[in-house]
Amino acid sequence: MSRADLISLLPEMILCGGGILILLLEAIGPALRRAFTALALLTVGLAVWGAWMAWSATGSADTVLTCNGLLETSGVTYALTLVILLATGLCLLASQGYLRRERILAGEYHALLLWCAVGLLLMLRATELLTVFLSLELLSLCLYCLAAFHRRLTVGTEAAIKYFLMGAFVSAFVLYGIALVFGATHSTRFSGIAESIAAMSSVPPTLSLGVLMLVAGFGFKMSVVPFHAWSPDTYQGAPSPFVAFLSVAPKVASALVLWRLLDVVAGAGVPGVAAKWSGVVAVLSVLSMLAGNLLALVQSDIKRMLAYSGIAHMGYLLLALVTMDRASLMPVIVYLLAYVLMNAGAFTVIGMLYDKPNEQHLISDLSGWGYRYPLLGGCLAVCMLSLGGIPSTIGFIGKYVVFLNAVGDGLVGLAILGVLASLIGVFYYLRVVYVLFMQPEEKQPEGLLIDGWGRAAAVLAALGTLVLGLWPNGILQWLLEATASK
Amino acid sequence: MDTVLDLLLGNTLTRLVFFPAAACLPLLFFPRSAARATKVYVLAASLVEVVFGLLYLGAHLAADGTFPTVHDGGARFTWVPSFGIGYDLAMDGISMPLVMLGIFLVPIVILGSWKGIERNWPAFGAALLLLTTGVLGALLAADLFLFYVFWEVMLIPMYLLIGIWGGERRIYAAVKFFLYTMAGSLLMLIAILWMAWSFKNLNGGVWSFAYADMLRLQFPLHQQIWLFGAFALTFAIKVPMFPFHTWLPDAHVEAPTGGSVILAGILLKLGTYGFLRFALPLFPQASKAAQPLLVALAVIGILYGALVAWVQTDMKKLVAYSSIAHLGFVMLGLMAFDLLAWQGALLQMVNHGLSTGALFLLVGFLYDRRHTKKFEEFGGLAKVIPVFAFFLVFSTLASVGLPALNGFAGEFLILTGSYRALGWPVALATFGVVLAAIYLLKMLQLTIWGPLTKDENRGLSDLSFREIAALVPLCVFMLWIGVAPNRFLEPSRPALAATLAAFNERLAEPEVATVTLRGDAKPADRIAIKMAEAGR
Repeated sequence: MSRADLISLLPEMILCGGGILILLLEAIGPALRRAFTALALLTVGLAVWGAWMAWSATGSADTVLTCNGLLETSGVTYALTLVILLATGLCLLASQGYLRRERILAGEYHALLLWCAVGLLLMLRATELLTVFLSLELLSLCLYCLAAFHRRLTVGTEAAIKYFLMGAFVSAFVLYGIALVFGATHSTRFSGIAESIAAMSSVPPTLSLGVLMLVAGFGFKMSVVPFHAWSPDTYQGAPSPFVAFLSVAPKVASALVLWRLLDVVAGAGVPGVAAKWSGVVAVLSVLSMLAGNLLALVQSDIKRMLAYSGIAHMGYLLLALVTMDRASLMPVIVYLLAYVLMNAGAFTVIGMLYDKPNEQHLISDLSGWGYRYPLLGGCLAVCMLSLGGIPSTIGFIGKYVVFLNAVGDGLVGLAILGVLASLIGVFYYLRVVYVLFMQPEEKQPEGLLIDGWGRAAAVLAALGTLVLGLWPNGILQWLLEATASK
Repeated sequence: MDTVLDLLLGNTLTRLVFFPAAACLPLLFFPRSAARATKVYVLAASLVEVVFGLLYLGAHLAADGTFPTVHDGGARFTWVPSFGIGYDLAMDGISMPLVMLGIFLVPIVILGSWKGIERNWPAFGAALLLLTTGVLGALLAADLFLFYVFWEVMLIPMYLLIGIWGGERRIYAAVKFFLYTMAGSLLMLIAILWMAWSFKNLNGGVWSFAYADMLRLQFPLHQQIWLFGAFALTFAIKVPMFPFHTWLPDAHVEAPTGGSVILAGILLKLGTYGFLRFALPLFPQASKAAQPLLVALAVIGILYGALVAWVQTDMKKLVAYSSIAHLGFVMLGLMAFDLLAWQGALLQMVNHGLSTGALFLLVGFLYDRRHTKKFEEFGGLAKVIPVFAFFLVFSTLASVGLPALNGFAGEFLILTGSYRALGWPVALATFGVVLAAIYLLKMLQLTIWGPLTKDENRGLSDLSFREIAALVPLCVFMLWIGVAPNRFLEPSRPALAATLAAFNERLAEPEVATVTLRGDAKPADRIAIKMAEAGR
């Protein structure tokens, strides 16, 4: 291993080390538990520094491969690394209060979360399918454990089992897909697959089947229709602050892997292939936008509503992937950043304002609480408006770049479907706002624990949503430059 | 080069737009119980804004009474340079009257809400001030992206105004208002993105959303129709034109008095303004093609609004439906593509803001006293509250279109101008004037004339000094515009004439097969300045 390899692995090593350190501390000094959040946050901060080091070591925004060509470091992976670390940080901030309230504060939680981040970072940097698979498994195992972290919770266990069973099934799918792709192209590297396909006159059915299986696998992780069934149940049962992570971070890495895969298959220039896969993605996108929004409309449980709305958001994201070219990366990254901020912010507030994780999280329970908790209510309202895509929020900027990309590629019909679907979205997001601020109080709060960490996470997410929504230029400019390089 | 701070502190449009938003910040620190202090503060802030408005007007109104086009800071600032999105505010003779109306209504709304709004004044004041920023921004934006942002941002405070301080079915009305408006504007967003792409492709890959640049685009008719459709739908919902009007009665009836005044006074005008500023000049051929349809809808709106207003049993609903009829006149004038009709339409937008604003205030004052708006609960009020009766008669007559009051000048110009251009459909619309007299006089008949039948009404107190203070400025302007309409028509004439000239010029252009870029930018404002200099 050369020095360059080590530097490029800095963020992952820091996160791994931080996780191990927290586990050791848990074993030798459980009294230190209160400090784990700070320690984990410090680790995330160091990982940000490590990611910066790894990126700046590349010298320019060009793509650099390390570790025997298995890992990519580029502007794109750097940007998404930061997005994932942001999600991790927000989740850590949000979790402390929840874990204390439910009396399940333990170092394993923080360690598992940090290792999730390791899996994600490796996944989005991997240039080879087996590395992708291994990091996907690292990620998934940690996610299953975290989903079941609240052991006394029956819905939590149910959620985790569901997630685990379907996830294991999907892992098999992914592995089989990789095998088929390897069989057809004799390579597991994206570059090798691309070369192999470029030399073909037509695409063999085994390759198509393999790619389809991979699309299904990552579609599952992104919870797009028709691979979405796990997400509402899992979100509902899993600890709310963890859902702030679960609902965003795996989607970030999966979206990039999906883009790489489609880019390889469609970019090889075999006639007819690009159009076919564009069609597949377009169908998935439309189904997700419509089904997600329509199903979210009828939910009374806020976590289920956000689960379905998340499906719809992935539909908008896929809209950017329909063209499968390099220009679609910028909208995808902006949309993911927006989604991380607003969704993590929403789940943070939900984690604090609902004290009975075993019961339904009814939206109507929040009636009038906007006045009782103006700060949290305001943050939740901002996140909702952002999810609805109202201007002056990052959610609008995300939709703007996605739809702009779609219109530019001549997909006006899809863009119109998208905006109409998002109109449905506005309806149910507004419901949260009016329940908070326009209805009389129905329920007295009891047993809530609203701590400074959680407040900080909510304010950070809401402020980030607004600030990046009002002054988006810096981030857009940087991403335009980062994604333009090849 | 001005900095942002210079713009904010100078006598600029930026200050005009963002002062209300900045004035919201201290409201965060007002306790919810400090209603009185908050009211005084918000009133003071709105009066400062009026002063800023007058200062701006004073600095730029030409000696001959016309208003030129003024771009803020003299240059185009960028907001999101990576996408060519500019921060560009501009005022001309078309936006000036509406901006002034908007600024002028805010203190009146605050005075009018003094008693009616009982809880959470800091939030109410903040919503009102933010709404002002949104409205002014939408009226002044000279960049389509900026316009869209202001257009949407303005929804949220209005949504809160209706939803928090509204009547019983407030949430239904607020959500309906929000979704209706958003439905149209999302399609407009797609149209804007399409235009931006077309411009970029023809402009060597450089983005722009600037209004002046968008005016250079020349689309083939079939594309124009789609684009015009998206813009027109957005604005038709906002106006609202028949058959997109159903959100309006709900919103008005449920909104608090102040919300209704702002809604009728200025928000609806954004729809007609949008037609005049964007939909018509950007897509002239499509406008011409859609003229029969839109004229028909306008006439239907006039007659339908009047007939439905006639049968209302609720005073506020009657005024709400009368808005549909009145704005039908404005739309009729706009779709005539005639200078006289356009002048009348612009004047009528202001007139409607004044007279309908006053009527909503009066309904609100009555509601504050009796907590009902039903005609059956009233009758003979003139005997008990004569001052109220005076103002009600005055505003009603202005709304009916009595000569020497403002409504007459506007309607007369619209009908004359559009008859010249459109012919017989205008004759149908003229019946609307008669119907307006019928339903508005019916309102007077049922509320203030006749015998005093209800005992509850005997003890009503007449208007307080504060309430009179809110109404007098409105009535002064109603009379002033009525006796000296030219004073109010003159500032806008060059801008309207230039817009119309440019519109006709584009209409005469041969049709193109694919989208092209007009070589030489001929923004309406440049022609306007030339015309103003020529002294006609």
